Amino acid sequence: MSSDSSSTSGDEFTNPNPNPNSTSKPLEDQFASAALTEPDNEPPEIQESPNGVVNGSVSENNHGEIERNERGGAVGSNLEARQSVRWRRTNSEVEVEAPSSPSSSGYAGERGSSSGSGSSGGFEMIGGGIGGDDDEIQEVSNVDSIQDSQASWMPGKRHVDEDDASLSWRKRKKHFFILSNSGKPIYSRYGDEHKLAGFSATLQAIISFVENGGDRVKLVRAGNHQVVFLVKGPIYLVCISCTEEPYESLRGQLELIYGQMLLILTKSVNRCFEKNPKFDMTPLLGGTDVVFSSLIHSFSWNPATFLHAYTCLPLAYATRQAAGAILQDVADSGVLFAILMCKHKVISLVGAQKASLHPDDMLLLANFVMSSESFRTSESFSPICLPRYNPMAFLYAYVHYLDVDTYLMLLTTSSDAFYHLKDCRIRIEMVLLKSNVLSEVQRSMLDGGMHVEDLPTDPLPRSGTLSPHLGQPRDSPESFREPFVGIGGPAGLWHFMYRSIFLDQYVSSEFSPPINSPRKQKRLYRAYQNLYASMHDKGIGPHKTQFRRDENYVLLCWVTQDFELYAAFDPLADKAVAIKTCNRVCQWVKDVENEIFLLGASPFSW
Amino acid sequence: MASRRRMLLKVIILGDSGVGKTSLMNQYVNRKFSNQYKATIGADFLTKEVQFEDRQFTLQIWDTAGQERFQSLGVAFYRGADCCVLVYDVNVMKSFDNLNNWREEFLIQASPSDPENFPFVVLGNKIDVDSGNSRVVSEKKAKAWCASKGNIPYFETSAKEGFNVEAAFQCIAKNALKNEPEEDIYLPDTIDVVGRQQQRSSGCEC
Repeated sequence: MSSDSSSTSGDEFTNPNPNPNSTSKPLEDQFASAALTEPDNEPPEIQESPNGVVNGSVSENNHGEIERNERGGAVGSNLEARQSVRWRRTNSEVEVEAPSSPSSSGYAGERGSSSGSGSSGGFEMIGGGIGGDDDEIQEVSNVDSIQDSQASWMPGKRHVDEDDASLSWRKRKKHFFILSNSGKPIYSRYGDEHKLAGFSATLQAIISFVENGGDRVKLVRAGNHQVVFLVKGPIYLVCISCTEEPYESLRGQLELIYGQMLLILTKSVNRCFEKNPKFDMTPLLGGTDVVFSSLIHSFSWNPATFLHAYTCLPLAYATRQAAGAILQDVADSGVLFAILMCKHKVISLVGAQKASLHPDDMLLLANFVMSSESFRTSESFSPICLPRYNPMAFLYAYVHYLDVDTYLMLLTTSSDAFYHLKDCRIRIEMVLLKSNVLSEVQRSMLDGGMHVEDLPTDPLPRSGTLSPHLGQPRDSPESFREPFVGIGGPAGLWHFMYRSIFLDQYVSSEFSPPINSPRKQKRLYRAYQNLYASMHDKGIGPHKTQFRRDENYVLLCWVTQDFELYAAFDPLADKAVAIKTCNRVCQWVKDVENEIFLLGASPFSW
Repeated sequence: MASRRRMLLKVIILGDSGVGKTSLMNQYVNRKFSNQYKATIGADFLTKEVQFEDRQFTLQIWDTAGQERFQSLGVAFYRGADCCVLVYDVNVMKSFDNLNNWREEFLIQASPSDPENFPFVVLGNKIDVDSGNSRVVSEKKAKAWCASKGNIPYFETSAKEGFNVEAAFQCIAKNALKNEPEEDIYLPDTIDVVGRQQQRSSGCEC
């Protein structure tokens, strides 16, 4: 694939939006101009080299095929050299690579790109587990149980009785540790921190030893395990994982954990360590186990953790406007940020004048509020820090739940603003009730957002008047829903995520069969996450398109200046049709953007 | 102040190779002793939960290698130590003479905020050997040295027989605790929006 073929075609599809009818062309053009091959004719472009070394994150999937069109050159050999250390395949992975008969076992056909390669059999094959939490040890016989991931996830720390001598502890698929640079444990996902003091010391010894040599340890690969290190001044963060996630993803998760810690304490903890290297941070974090475990859990179900974007609750434009107007009203009275959310979805948010809120800060703040049970019981006023806004200092958050899922957060710089914010909240609540925003929110929670079954037929009418609204009955005659019940949307479309780069927002389609179990959903997110990492790889990326087929899905990714689209299809889906379908998805998103995104007056300047 | 919470104390064990650091630790943590000598490589880490004066705490014991080639690990290891245990062999004069070097090396590398009062404990080990007949460092001499360094507590121990080991570590814990500084109230700044040059709020941007 020559670089000019991709760059010329690149110009055409940077924006499918201005002319709806032209949108189906560009992505197809791009693939065509890159002379990419159809699946059955060609062996995978990325293959294992004789010594069993494969290239980067792309190939950790059990791909039958990877085709991509990149800006800068070949996918093949140069990568192999560069990343050979990081991505050494083990035998068990090779096994997975071999086409397995879907009928040979209950779960073979569902095996994910990231969960199929563990070394210790049952423990690691069952990545999804019941809780949707990758790290649970599961019996093989539980594979078929399907429960709702979030519903069955138990908040808080588990397995506190374990330590590094426990077999069960050692088998956990993904560990996270926070420790101080003197080796004192601060947080461990599993097991009791104090019992892990020796383990913690070992981690510090490794990090400090390398640091002493004027170097930095970032990643250690040991068999199936990756040990990822992140040093943040006196705070060390470590992830030990055999989930096969790319290094960049795991490091991003450590960054979020560090951000969560800052949100609770600010970076001023560094001063405590400067004054006293023996400083023990655990008392300061007392009672926040649940915040961290909830964040870690979200790594397996919330795409915001790797997309660095937030998502909105689908609402009629006027409804969101009404919410935004009253928030704007209070923001003008000295509130720095006013945020109305329903679970992890934004209803509306407003920043005072130039203040802007980073999506990661929103994620961490929402996680903090949702995971702390006490916020639900009464109105609260709590110091919090937004690490991307100002990591050094506290803001104050007034938090109040308006109903069981919907909560209002008013952030201020004034520590004595509680009563003012309470008044603001009362005003807001009245307006929201009066304008039926809260009942609309409830309805949207029930209806959900975009369902792949509802993907409109192509081509769409050009005028907006006939474009489908999310709110309209989903069993309308034009809808493709009927013929596709149980098998996703048209053309084998199973799911998609669309991230608007300009808005810092993403929309994800609702899960429908066959992606209907938490385990499958998590696996799909992992596949997206891998796709994201490979598209944004600093060494070989960024890329514009990627089409990959394996035994689980066809995955298609399309990145332009304006958006990123991630779509999953039936593994047997026709490529040309899939590409066409992606264009329709983009058009559909554009048609309903009023309802799925928070538009206009967006103060985001990141 | 620091009332009921569990504390974690980082304890570094230093001394010449072969004086019995690892054996002391094994005796203390696992109540085991082996005559076989295995040189520690780099450092070993052990944890022991201790009850002391109604308080529960965890000793994180850093058993370091005595060989000189591991000395470069110092800075990385010593940071944030709560207590340092100096061990020598009462039957080897050199190991006693070196205590001074170990102490000074530790103070340089760990650079504790108050070096004068940093808690050390000295252990004269292997008093069981040859029923004490091969002993070359007298208790008096050792105590004199300890007194000259700011009254470092001194214990004569036998890792092999478990003699005085428990008592020594009790003292280690006590001293580490004593040294715990009064912690200030944690009070980070609040964002000062008005003070920011960009006038992020209030101000007159309309």
